[in-house]
Amino acid sequence: MATITENTKKEVKEIVYQFFAEECEVDLSEINNDTNIIKDLDGDSLMFLELIEIFKKKYNLDIELKTIGKYAVKHPVQTIGQLIDMQLLIIRHENKLLELEK
Amino acid sequence: MSEKSLAFIFPAFVSEYSEDPGRRLPGFPKYFQKFLHQAAIRVSPDLEQFNFHTRTFLDDELKTQFITYVCSCALSSYLKDEGIRSDYCAGYSMGIYAAFYHAGVVSFMDGLELIGRAFESIRKVTRNAPFSMGTVIGLSREDIVGIIKHTGSSVQITNQNGICSFVLGGKEDEIRRFLDAAKAEGALSTRVIPVSDPYHTSYINPPGSDHRMIMTGLHFNDPMIPVVSLLDSKILHDEMSLRDEIIRNLYTPMNWYKTQLLLQSRGISVFIECGMGKALTKNSKFVEGDAVFLSPDSPGFIEDLEKIKPLL
Repeated sequence: MATITENTKKEVKEIVYQFFAEECEVDLSEINNDTNIIKDLDGDSLMFLELIEIFKKKYNLDIELKTIGKYAVKHPVQTIGQLIDMQLLIIRHENKLLELEK
Repeated sequence: MSEKSLAFIFPAFVSEYSEDPGRRLPGFPKYFQKFLHQAAIRVSPDLEQFNFHTRTFLDDELKTQFITYVCSCALSSYLKDEGIRSDYCAGYSMGIYAAFYHAGVVSFMDGLELIGRAFESIRKVTRNAPFSMGTVIGLSREDIVGIIKHTGSSVQITNQNGICSFVLGGKEDEIRRFLDAAKAEGALSTRVIPVSDPYHTSYINPPGSDHRMIMTGLHFNDPMIPVVSLLDSKILHDEMSLRDEIIRNLYTPMNWYKTQLLLQSRGISVFIECGMGKALTKNSKFVEGDAVFLSPDSPGFIEDLEKIKPLL
């Protein structure tokens, strides 16, 4: 289980904000933690997948997409803030993410 | 083939329009209007009323197919006139008609005729049951085959876009049940595609059906640019194989993922997506290799194009 530092939180937030600003062609200032990814940014599932791949590479994560999918069914992500929280959980727990349910 | 480096890719019929795919291309609206006007004369006068912003005709599958084709043909003609010459072209699913137009296999008008006739021919064999298609992201082929077996589903894999990205077709209720099962198995995303026909499935080709008549009276030429099949990744060089391809494409599964890898291994380093939206460009991020995908719908398209021009 990885330790999540304040620096990690800051880094993840910056990556997520920057990613959606570029992908959705919006100004960084228009994004906040309450921004709805689908309704406000016209985001899609491929973006979610791309972000997962970015974090998998960056933090050398051992996690199956299926594990994230099963977690996401019970904890659907709608806003940027929720997405950041989920990414932090993924970084922290990796393939043990579903054990949080027990 | 190793010397070749640029391929034009023509996307499938859309179920949603992008904002305006040519908005970043100076002079493109004239191209679009020219093709739209010709299409209106040939197939339906009210096509002239089309407007990207008012989402015209989205409730009419056939007219949306005509609009998709018009947009793709206008874009490829625009790029050609701008000096961008493709070494190969390929049609993703029903993008095959625009690819054939681009390669000089059929005229623009005959391409429209093919679309209309194929639509009617398919409807004759699918009208007795509600069909649909769906996408699954986040599961492997083995996972999907496993769900099909486990649930006794009759849905069929119609395309693989990436290692964990698939399209399926089948009866409407079966598609919905399958997508629910896929979600429970851990799919990151599932979506019903709002189409009424299960393209690329055997449902389109039941015993006794014959779609070849859609080509009756239409003129086919040998391609001026090699056309790549997404059904078996072969390069199609002659009129006869292209005639065969246009029919098989209706009911045969394709594999876009495998085709991309093969094209890259043969030297294609740049793909330009000629059509509405940037779905294929987005998808390319999940395919191995260094090939560059460009979409006129992307912000830096003009700049990217200028950068690669000297390399082509």
